[in-house]
Amino acid sequence: MSYRIPMGPYHPGLEEPYKLDMICEGETVQDAELNIGFNFRGIEHLAETRNYYQVIALMERVCGICSFIHTLTLCQAMEKLAGLEAPPRAKYIRVVMAELERLHSHVLWAGIAAKLMGFKTMFMTCFALREKVMDVLQAISGNRVNYSMNRVGGVNRDVEDPLALLPLIDELEREMVKTVIPIFTSSATAISRCAGIGVLTPEKAVSCAVVGPMARASGIDQDLRRDAPYAAYEEMKFEVPVQPAGDVKARLLVRALEILESCKILRQALTAMPLGEVSVGGDKFNFETGTATSRVEAPRGEVIYSVSWKAGSRNPARVHVRTPTYANMPAVRWMVRGARLADTPLIQASIDPCYSCTDR
Amino acid sequence: MTDLESLREKLGAAEPWVESRGTWWLNPGSTSVRQAAAIMNEAHARFITITAYQLAGSEGFRLEYHWDLEGRLLGLPFTIAGNAIDSIFDLSEAADWIEREIHEEYSLDFTGRVLEPLLLRQGDESGVNLREVTAARQAPTAQVAKEVAQ
Repeated sequence: MSYRIPMGPYHPGLEEPYKLDMICEGETVQDAELNIGFNFRGIEHLAETRNYYQVIALMERVCGICSFIHTLTLCQAMEKLAGLEAPPRAKYIRVVMAELERLHSHVLWAGIAAKLMGFKTMFMTCFALREKVMDVLQAISGNRVNYSMNRVGGVNRDVEDPLALLPLIDELEREMVKTVIPIFTSSATAISRCAGIGVLTPEKAVSCAVVGPMARASGIDQDLRRDAPYAAYEEMKFEVPVQPAGDVKARLLVRALEILESCKILRQALTAMPLGEVSVGGDKFNFETGTATSRVEAPRGEVIYSVSWKAGSRNPARVHVRTPTYANMPAVRWMVRGARLADTPLIQASIDPCYSCTDR
Repeated sequence: MTDLESLREKLGAAEPWVESRGTWWLNPGSTSVRQAAAIMNEAHARFITITAYQLAGSEGFRLEYHWDLEGRLLGLPFTIAGNAIDSIFDLSEAADWIEREIHEEYSLDFTGRVLEPLLLRQGDESGVNLREVTAARQAPTAQVAKEVAQ
């Protein structure tokens, strides 16, 4: 006999609300239905009521973890409409902030995944690492979240001594190589909870058009930093980790390897940061009539902003945001099918979901 | 790398691709959105999203469909006079949520599929987020402009 198990909107593993209604046969999930919208704030409508300064502060609040990425994507679109290009140093600072945010996001996710596996020591280790990343973000921007770094035409703050940040990158990488990656890839606890569960086949990943680490863990070799470079990514040398298995372990491994690649990018950006100004264009902008679209590889995958403006207006006519979790979330239905009920919190967490982003 | 020109020929578009602000735009002409979606699938383009714009002073809409083709961002705009356009959900599973969301925001129908319950505000009415609020916002602005002119 089949029965329905509602999971959420108060989630057992994640501190954000959404609901998964699962149809189970014994301990096996037969099908699932997703319900979102518990965090809906009408941000796209609110954006139309904000001027070109306020809209940046507003969009920074779409997501607490990827706040820099959201303003970067927005500002890049607005720069296209204003006919501006950020100066080279600002582009490097944008890379540094984006990669620190990726480190922050991936390490935080690794901690939550460890907690869901029942591996609390690893949870504490990951969160201690996360604190170190947040210390750097605070040292650069003055804030632990919502950094207020981006502006139209560049960034608001300079990184005064980029080389001083290198020891932290070394320490972070050392900790990842020495502790986190070996435990996640070889401990019996991690493997027994992660290997072979929540599989998203490459065919289904293509069909659902999933993005970011989730796509790369299903064998899809895509990364906007390499395929459609923005900021200063064209000047960075890095690998795009791809794993073919499509299970939770593959997602874990992709993110772990991405942390090492982020360290590599950070070293390059901090060492080769060019001298010069960090913003152009002054304080008043003239936007052309039209639409501009910008894409960025956020920690969870591609974020796209379509921004429409009417010349002479202080407010955007339309701001449309498609976040990575919005693209990835529907695939959860296929990932939990056939899974054991007890594995479903970890399967859901393995996409590194952000419902704040999804609902906007 | 896939040749955009051959893709244009398959799409049957008369005008060339135009690169604007980092997006490759193509006027689809008489090609339907379903034909375009099928051709994009054949080309292994990845569906990204649809952005809807309510046209000023009319009941029409402009829907911009975006695909990624090997790192290039493609945009195909479709203008509709009424309140409905064919769904591509059966051709592109990834269009599911965005079609439902646009239906919710603008009360615009994607024919050939079920759009209820609403994606973000189950049990509420469709069209109250962006469509009606936008219209309501325009009215007082026009009144203020008239008063200023007087």
